[in-house]
Amino acid sequence: MRVLLEAAAKAAIILATALLPAVGGLGLAADVSEPPGLWTGSMYGRTPSTLSGAAVVDLAALEALMAAQPLLLDVGPAQQKPENFPGNRPWLPIHRSIPSAVWMPGAGVAPLEADREQLFHRRIAELTHGDKARPIVVFCRPDCWGSWNAGKRLVMQGYTRVSWFPAGLDAWQEKHETAEVKPDTAWSVESTGGKAVER
Amino acid sequence: MKVSKIRPFALCLALGLALAGVAPVADVLAADPASVDASTQPERVARWKAIAAQIFGDREIEPTETLIKLDAPTRAEDAALVPVTLTMPEQDTIKSVYLVIDDNPSPLAAHVIFGPAAYPGSLQLRVRIDTYTNVHAVAETRDGRLFGTVAFVKASGGCSAPAGVSDEEAMTGMGEMRLRFAQGAAPGQPTQTTLMIRHPNFNGMQMDQVTRNYTPPRYIDKVSVSHGSSKVFDLETDISLSTHPVITFSLVADGNNPVNVSVSDTKNGRWEQSFEVPVTTN
Repeated sequence: MRVLLEAAAKAAIILATALLPAVGGLGLAADVSEPPGLWTGSMYGRTPSTLSGAAVVDLAALEALMAAQPLLLDVGPAQQKPENFPGNRPWLPIHRSIPSAVWMPGAGVAPLEADREQLFHRRIAELTHGDKARPIVVFCRPDCWGSWNAGKRLVMQGYTRVSWFPAGLDAWQEKHETAEVKPDTAWSVESTGGKAVER
Repeated sequence: MKVSKIRPFALCLALGLALAGVAPVADVLAADPASVDASTQPERVARWKAIAAQIFGDREIEPTETLIKLDAPTRAEDAALVPVTLTMPEQDTIKSVYLVIDDNPSPLAAHVIFGPAAYPGSLQLRVRIDTYTNVHAVAETRDGRLFGTVAFVKASGGCSAPAGVSDEEAMTGMGEMRLRFAQGAAPGQPTQTTLMIRHPNFNGMQMDQVTRNYTPPRYIDKVSVSHGSSKVFDLETDISLSTHPVITFSLVADGNNPVNVSVSDTKNGRWEQSFEVPVTTN
């Protein structure tokens, strides 16, 4: 009897060990294939597990990459103040990100207006000092097509060391403190006048 | 009424935790001191000071571990539905309570002003939390002093989480209410009461998954509960309250009168409902 119980317990452990990664994988590796170009659907939703021409990094890989001082590019959305928000209640939007990240809200939206697209590439060229081999990490939060698109834009523009960090800020803040970042000035000054930006 | 949903990343997170529990991994990078007590990190402390100045002006907030307690999950399962419980053991001294979610764009999630028919010993709300943040609870005593406490809550994405259904469906039955009493209300005794309000509480940051447009904001800004001619509480709130708000509070039943609830939203919606209080004999 005792032997049987032990065997059952062992089997249960083996089963659980085998099942957990499989179930976990469902969330990540479900059949979302890469679109041929930029994704123009909803910016919020399940993303592919790959990005051709770019590396897909998890937190450990990102931590390893930090020594190379990559350009950290956050394309998460800015918080929109509701219309007619009462003036006597505090409205204090804050965007927390990986410390030293450059935040370009909505830079992963597709399609972008032509001048916005040009501005994006001009800003990235400035930030990388024209070095197409500079490591760049794009991210926002999980289920964010915006970061996939931003990475795709960079790959199509000829950047050779693009990393996409799909787990994004959620994974980062699990282990590290975040820092408040302001929108990149050049990007937001010529922005759409506070129009909603997607992540 | 509750729309059940598990967002994929929350599932991954839960599984990740389960895995971590099965096989703890040596973690060299977890040594970040900030993660030990993020609530005292200087940038977060500075933010709280700025928020407190806007809400309370120059009134001093004294730290307390007894006058108000804040119970929130250290790690929330669903950032759009985070249960927060405030406990005020010295209930007779409490005039009102504030719930502040520091890193939500509108940090003041709720201000609840208690009336004579309330038993201000505890209050539970369900809120949206946008990112890992400090949450502050501040009690205002009848003599006008403020006492505060803080908890760090790990929840992320609660403000932009789509309703999961179409906007039209989320708005069905808007303004319908239910009031549930934990047990029969013995006159003169505090009775735990749960108010459920059907309302999408659109905060303007959610995207309609069908049209891919941002859903225009429409949210509850005031809830008022009275018992007979006595006030139980007034709640002033905004976009941090969850879809289909649930508020648990205690009232002192008078054994006679109904409980009247009045709710208003930012699109001139106004709903009122009257509930009989079940009287118990034990």
